[in-house]
Amino acid sequence: MIYELKMEEDAGTTVNNLLRSMLKDGKIDALVAMQETPTGKSAFPTMVSDPDKLHTNVFAPLLPVSIGTVVSHMTKVQGTKKPLAVVLRACELRALLELAKIKQADLDNLILIGVDCLGTFPMKTYSDFDGDPTEVLLKGEGEEYLRTACLNCKDPVPENADIVIGVYGADEGLFLDARTEKGEGILSDMNLDETEDVEVREQAVSDVRGKKDETRKEFMEEHADILGVDKLLEFFDTCVNCHNCMKACPICYCKECLFESSVFDLEANKYMAKAKSKGAFKTPTDSLLFHVTRFNHMILSCVECGLCEQACPSDIPLMDIITSIAENAQREFEYEPGKDPEEEMPMVVYREDEFQDVGEG
Amino acid sequence: MSENDKTKEDFEPKVVGFLCNWCSYAGADLAGTSRIQYPPNIRVIRVMCSGSVDSVYVNRALIEGADAVLIGGCHPGDCHYLNGNYKARRKMVLMKNILTTLGMEPERVWLRWISASEGQKFADTVKEIVEETKKLGPNPMKERWNI
Ligand code: SF4
Ligand code: SF4
Ligand code: FES
Repeated sequence: MIYELKMEEDAGTTVNNLLRSMLKDGKIDALVAMQETPTGKSAFPTMVSDPDKLHTNVFAPLLPVSIGTVVSHMTKVQGTKKPLAVVLRACELRALLELAKIKQADLDNLILIGVDCLGTFPMKTYSDFDGDPTEVLLKGEGEEYLRTACLNCKDPVPENADIVIGVYGADEGLFLDARTEKGEGILSDMNLDETEDVEVREQAVSDVRGKKDETRKEFMEEHADILGVDKLLEFFDTCVNCHNCMKACPICYCKECLFESSVFDLEANKYMAKAKSKGAFKTPTDSLLFHVTRFNHMILSCVECGLCEQACPSDIPLMDIITSIAENAQREFEYEPGKDPEEEMPMVVYREDEFQDVGEG
Repeated sequence: MSENDKTKEDFEPKVVGFLCNWCSYAGADLAGTSRIQYPPNIRVIRVMCSGSVDSVYVNRALIEGADAVLIGGCHPGDCHYLNGNYKARRKMVLMKNILTTLGMEPERVWLRWISASEGQKFADTVKEIVEETKKLGPNPMKERWNI
């Protein structure tokens, strides 16, 4: 059922009050949501159990880390026995569901609250912003500040949550969409009115998805020319092989990445032999190999959050190529990361009668 | 003149072959013991199963300049570990898909099912790979010092 949440002060405060009453009523034991730091220059996923310390702004347009990653760290050793609410945006929810599939997160007793995403700003843009960045976006402005990943977002409306907080299509208040029994159980006795604008909401969601689809397609076409070894080497020309892109990635969960090991440290004579055979080679070695291998290992689960790009010290516009790599690979396997929590990942299953032209010929 | 300066036609491709212990490696062995002629361009690496060949091996061979890479495994249904070859096939599809998006010549990467009794098929496969790779010319990555 979709309820209507009456606006109080502003959207952030409205949701904050809702979360506070969930805490106070004991519906949840604690929650994790975006909370602005005291300076107002950034916001971070914060776990709160004391209603007096609750100052969330779930609409803060900033993605310092994926809440998917945060919840993985919090639940992978042992899941929670008491109800914990997690407020996440669409790409974070997709990441969390992917992580749960590979046992890197335990969803038991989590109440997943998705929130419509209006896009996020680069960290620096956010902290230097003249005015209130949240307000600007909620007014439907500020698109020029958005990160590339957000401009081309696959789907800013969360799907597989217990409750979805809807902005798209909302006029006066906000939508509260109970999408599961668990979600319904929480919202049903909170004195909320059912909305009369279900169709408005549906139309708005389908409009924003359609618009994003188009932007994304145009973007991929625009960058379709980064092809061939020389273009790629140009693209990665300033890569210092720091692996920050991997460390920021919610999907790259391995604790012992091959590329952080000493597998690629060889005996001096092997380097000398390589120099003799090629004439010269650049160091650090194996950076293109790192990227291509990383894509092979994680791209089918890539949720296109753009955290890799945000983490790059050399400002390499990684999403210019990752968007197409993810799109093409996921289409080949008809797989949409984070779409269906029950669906197995493509690399752990197979069918005997598929791809038969590969292997024979 | 170094090997890399040779023109397309007279260049001898270097092929790296990852062959599974239980089928394709035995097939290659049979080609040898049966004295079946095949081009000397392949360097064979024995692996336990085609399913154990991660993309990092294939891509490293390519980036270091191998002109082609072959993964050889048991025929579907015959994998010693039941389904390694089906998984190898999926990995191969993904590898080629990514190489295609990146414009990195996916046709240099091969997957073939060769059983322990198919010495001839092994020889024919190597012949075919060498011929096709000659048409492609040398792997450009070999020349790039800044890779
Ligand atoms: S590769 Fe980049 S865009 Fe994809 S999930 Fe990882 S950090 Fe996000
Ligand atoms: S974060 Fe940037 S510089 Fe560091 S490895 Fe990734 S692409 Fe290279
Ligand atoms: S053992 Fe030969 S493919 Fe698995």
